[in-house]
Amino acid sequence: MSEVATVVTGWGITFIVIATYSIWVVSRGKIIGQELGIGEMEQLDARKDAGATTDL
Amino acid sequence: MTSAIHGNAKMTATATTRVLGVLAIAATALMTVLGLLVSPADVIQGEAVRMLYIHVPSIWIAYGAFVLTSVSSVLFLRRRKRREDQGRHYDRLAGSAAEVGVVFTGITLVTGMLWGKVTWGTYWQWDARLTTTVLLFVTYLGYLALRRLPAEPIIRSRRAAVMALISFINVPIVHYSVDWWRTLHQKASLSVGRRPEITGEMYWTLLYSALTVTIVAAWLIIHRYRVIRLEELRDEEALAALISSRLKKDDGSN
Amino acid sequence: MDLTPRHEVEAPDELRQKMHRRRRRTVLVVALVLIAAMALITAQGLRNATLFFRNADEAVEQRVELGDRRFRIQGRVIPSTVKSESGITTFEIIHDCVVVSIWHSSDPPELFKSPWIPVVLEGSWAIGEIRNVAGSDTHYFASDRMLVKHTNEYASANEQRLTDKAPEGFLDQCLFEGPAAAS
Repeated sequence: MSEVATVVTGWGITFIVIATYSIWVVSRGKIIGQELGIGEMEQLDARKDAGATTDL
Repeated sequence: MTSAIHGNAKMTATATTRVLGVLAIAATALMTVLGLLVSPADVIQGEAVRMLYIHVPSIWIAYGAFVLTSVSSVLFLRRRKRREDQGRHYDRLAGSAAEVGVVFTGITLVTGMLWGKVTWGTYWQWDARLTTTVLLFVTYLGYLALRRLPAEPIIRSRRAAVMALISFINVPIVHYSVDWWRTLHQKASLSVGRRPEITGEMYWTLLYSALTVTIVAAWLIIHRYRVIRLEELRDEEALAALISSRLKKDDGSN
Repeated sequence: MDLTPRHEVEAPDELRQKMHRRRRRTVLVVALVLIAAMALITAQGLRNATLFFRNADEAVEQRVELGDRRFRIQGRVIPSTVKSESGITTFEIIHDCVVVSIWHSSDPPELFKSPWIPVVLEGSWAIGEIRNVAGSDTHYFASDRMLVKHTNEYASANEQRLTDKAPEGFLDQCLFEGPAAAS
């Protein structure tokens, strides 16, 4: 594999892994949220939501 | 009780993390331009040097994530009795950081193998650095597996915290392996008290990439933390439902 | 109306325990696989990591004990000595002013062409009178595998050009005439 092909492959794999993991995390949150019936809570509570980082 | 839980629970995105997410995407776009187009090719390695901007920040972030896991685990073990949440906040933080750390260790290994093929002439060599890094990856996979082992939440968290501290022993070994043993792998790219052997534009691109990867990792850890919180809520609800169905059944049979 | 015989209905607790047991088994299997992987990695690592390569000077010093055993040797390639003919590459490496002649029988990696690049070679000592930049030797190193040991130095290709000049201070302590001068 040429240098350029190697670099493109390496960066490509990294982007795919990070994107896939991010999507998995967000969608898992959504699914569980829906199971718990809090799927729409966030939109309804958008303004109060800004302070939610205190959760962490 | 249910409404109280729901009142506290938020979905994984908040205004703050949305800003962080947009920032992460923008920073990554700039990192791609700097790393792949603006920064120069290396005098010896040519274009292959561009792997540096992914490979090195990834392992730095993995180290950082494992430090966070260890600190959170210590805090969990020391403070859980005093805290209202029995230290579950620290446990969630440890778990989410470890998972993100494992993802970045994996990226380090894959990009390192590709980079090794064009510079060393081989994908893999069992030298001290490569061996200890793959061991680090497997150990933290074990930690994540332990977190999934069914047990009382508090017992499971305690086991995981102890395992996290044991796993961390390998982190300095990985970092110093290139100094302690003879390796095919080069010495650390940047280290305290030593003049960087990297030319200006490459040096700044590397530091900028590290900042970008930090933002991405922070976003991931925060979201993963919240998903763990949601998982806990779901388990609590399932348990509550189970208990109430049991009670109902008992009432019916009486 | 529920017609299921009562003794066949599993109590939720039992159901949970059953699920727990199944999950526990899966996790245990995963744990065993991981432990096996760790043992394998450690074994592989211990075999190689403690003495991954000998520098050229050490390999010469230990020549008698090494005999015809396979090992790895490390040194910088002296650019003026590289010759290639019908799949065989001959060149000389140097470490701590000790020069070793190499007879290499596989395709070198791409970066081998960079002057004074450090390389790790796998092979063994072979007997043969040979002349090199430091004088003459009774042995040469027959290798069939080459790994380029890249350093942690990076420099912009726009600002620097590769030269055959030895790295700064590299040959200062050497008593023989500088190999770069031999070219």
